[in-house]
Amino acid sequence: MLRMENVSKIYRTDLVETHALRKVDLHIKAGEFVSVTGPSGSGKTTFLNLAGALETFEEGDYFLDGQNVKGLSDDKLSEIRNQKIGFIFQSFNLLPDLPLFDNVDVPLRYRGMSAKERKERIEHALETVGLASRMKHLPTQLSGGQQQRVAIARAIAGEPKFLLADEPTGNLDSLMAQQVMELLEDINSKGTTIIMVTHDDQLARRAHRNIQIFDGQVSDIEKAVANDVIRSA
Amino acid sequence: MFNYNLQLALKSLKDRPALTFLTILTIAIGLGLYTTIKTMSYQGGQVPLAHKSKNIFLVQMDNREITAEEVTHQSRLVDTTYKDTLNLLAMELPGVEQTLNWYTYGILNVEDENINPVRATASVTSSNFFTMFEPPFLYGNGWDKATENNAEGVIVISKLMNDKLFGGRNSVGENVRIGTNVLQIIGVLDVWHLSRKFYDRGFSSGRPDNFFIPYTYAIANELPRIAGFDCWQADADIARSFRNENTQRLLNSECAWVTFWAEIPDEQIENYQQQLNNYIEGQKALGRFPREILTYVTNLDDQFSYINGRNDFMNVFSIISTLFFAVCLLNAVGIMLAKFMRRTKEVSLRRALGAKKKTIIAQHIIEVVIIGFLGGLLGIFVAYLGLQGMMNIQIYSSDYTRRLEDLQPLFALDFTMIAKAFITGISCTLIASIYPIWRLCNTPPASQLKSQ
Ligand SMILES: Nc1ncnc2c1ncn2[C@@H]1O[C@H](COP(=O)(O)OP(=O)(O)OP(=O)(O)O)[C@@H](O)[C@H]1O
Ligand SMILES: [Mg+2]
Repeated sequence: MLRMENVSKIYRTDLVETHALRKVDLHIKAGEFVSVTGPSGSGKTTFLNLAGALETFEEGDYFLDGQNVKGLSDDKLSEIRNQKIGFIFQSFNLLPDLPLFDNVDVPLRYRGMSAKERKERIEHALETVGLASRMKHLPTQLSGGQQQRVAIARAIAGEPKFLLADEPTGNLDSLMAQQVMELLEDINSKGTTIIMVTHDDQLARRAHRNIQIFDGQVSDIEKAVANDVIRSA
Repeated sequence: MFNYNLQLALKSLKDRPALTFLTILTIAIGLGLYTTIKTMSYQGGQVPLAHKSKNIFLVQMDNREITAEEVTHQSRLVDTTYKDTLNLLAMELPGVEQTLNWYTYGILNVEDENINPVRATASVTSSNFFTMFEPPFLYGNGWDKATENNAEGVIVISKLMNDKLFGGRNSVGENVRIGTNVLQIIGVLDVWHLSRKFYDRGFSSGRPDNFFIPYTYAIANELPRIAGFDCWQADADIARSFRNENTQRLLNSECAWVTFWAEIPDEQIENYQQQLNNYIEGQKALGRFPREILTYVTNLDDQFSYINGRNDFMNVFSIISTLFFAVCLLNAVGIMLAKFMRRTKEVSLRRALGAKKKTIIAQHIIEVVIIGFLGGLLGIFVAYLGLQGMMNIQIYSSDYTRRLEDLQPLFALDFTMIAKAFITGISCTLIASIYPIWRLCNTPPASQLKSQ
């Protein structure tokens, strides 16, 4: 599970302070598939980066898997990212000069797994995304959709508890997007908690739950619905 | 994790071979030149007779006239008079050995008429020369005290001359003629390497002497002299003639021209100084040593640190080569900085996927150490070429009067210098890359991942 209490994130530059997230209270249960929507610049990526321990925050508390992430050392955060979280970036972010196998290998290497175990996991992950036959190819030899699937393979190879996806279908056509979505649903069905940022309302509705962010403020549809029920009662 | 980092480092070096080679070459050229100059200054400045250099002393006494100029450094004071040379040689102190040097010259012939005569400059010295300065002998020995006291005509020759005049065979017992004087060969030296020929106070390098003759014989046969004669006013006019004539007058004069050396054990050094002072006091009664007592008893270590410090050529080149090396390093850092900065996106991604800061640091340190190592390796090769080049320039510019075998030790890369070059190469590259690596490892994990 994942719980944020009163979390705020402010970006400070010389000229301006941007309140990217304001007092976020949120609880996501294990095994949920949550979609996050909101206008551009509203703080979706920021939210996901905080959730993925990629960025630190000043205010509030954030419990990931029961552990308070706030104030952890850089090394500890690296470990959390490495072991608990699979990240799928909006722009695939594969290493262009490494073959698919080596790309999927990166997080496993930093986990210090044995060569045999890594090989098994990489092959399994690439099989899951349907690219087992192209292990030796370079990312540039693949289509965008295939590249995104490699990124998914990389994210799931370590079997993380949480999969965070930042517009995983943003650069894909609708057919490709469908495939990727099905893949994510499949992964979720096996127990992985997924948080997915998307602009696509249709895809967002396929999630168990939708969270909307406006100007750094999170409104939880589930809660809103619950409140509506209470109010109308 | 080391394996993975090593793989990444090697891959990075392999993926951009031209850039890698350029970086290594830059370091190698800077380091090579630096090592060349450092080696020359190290080898050229090495104090001979290291095991006893602190006990080998140049002995000087100020027997000049009252009107002579003030002297504040040993290097400026004149040599010793013949009178004083004899008196000091007669002074017996336990464990103390003394010797002297000047030069004579002449045309030297051997009996074999097929061998051309050679122009010979010979060091005139005493039997102790060989025990004090320890030149290596190939055949025979130096002469003994008895031979010296009888003013017998003996000569020690160099390996070079033995090769030239006798085809390298054992020539001990054979005769040579200098002018009309016949001398018997009593010893043949092996190649004798002195970083600088100190015993004539000339400190020249790579020019060993070929002949050694007993001073008693040179005096008895009035052999010509090569020396600077620092005379009192009375003899100033005829000082020049002392090279070839007026031997008796020179020997009785107050002219200083003999370089005088003593080997003094530690426990006698104070006593020796005291004896010198006593001697001068005694001579004052005879109307000599008119000035305030001034003596210099200077060991080889001190003489060499003075000479090395005044070696402007080496000092200037040392500074230039150090600066050049620094420029090369800066250049290499520039290349690495550019290369590493292009990698921020990759590092940011690796950090996002769980690489710790120290893992990123290790990866790049390995890469830099490999570059430093290869730079060091190539740098040593460059230094070797540089030293060969410098040596050949010296041989050429001496019109081939200097020989390879004498100069080689002055331009030899020894293990210490190789080790130093390596350590310098690697540590300087490491130090220089601290900044690029620091910049790189501080890339925030998410910063570069937003868009392509
Ligand atoms: N590193 C940063 N430094 C300063 N401001 C930042 C930084 N990253 C994001 N911001 C600001 O924080 C706000 C939220 O940005 P964020 O990237 O989270 O938006 P988003 O909802 O993901 O937008 P999009 O849908 O366009 O990706 C924006 O106003 C943005 O300008
Ligand atoms: Mg975004």
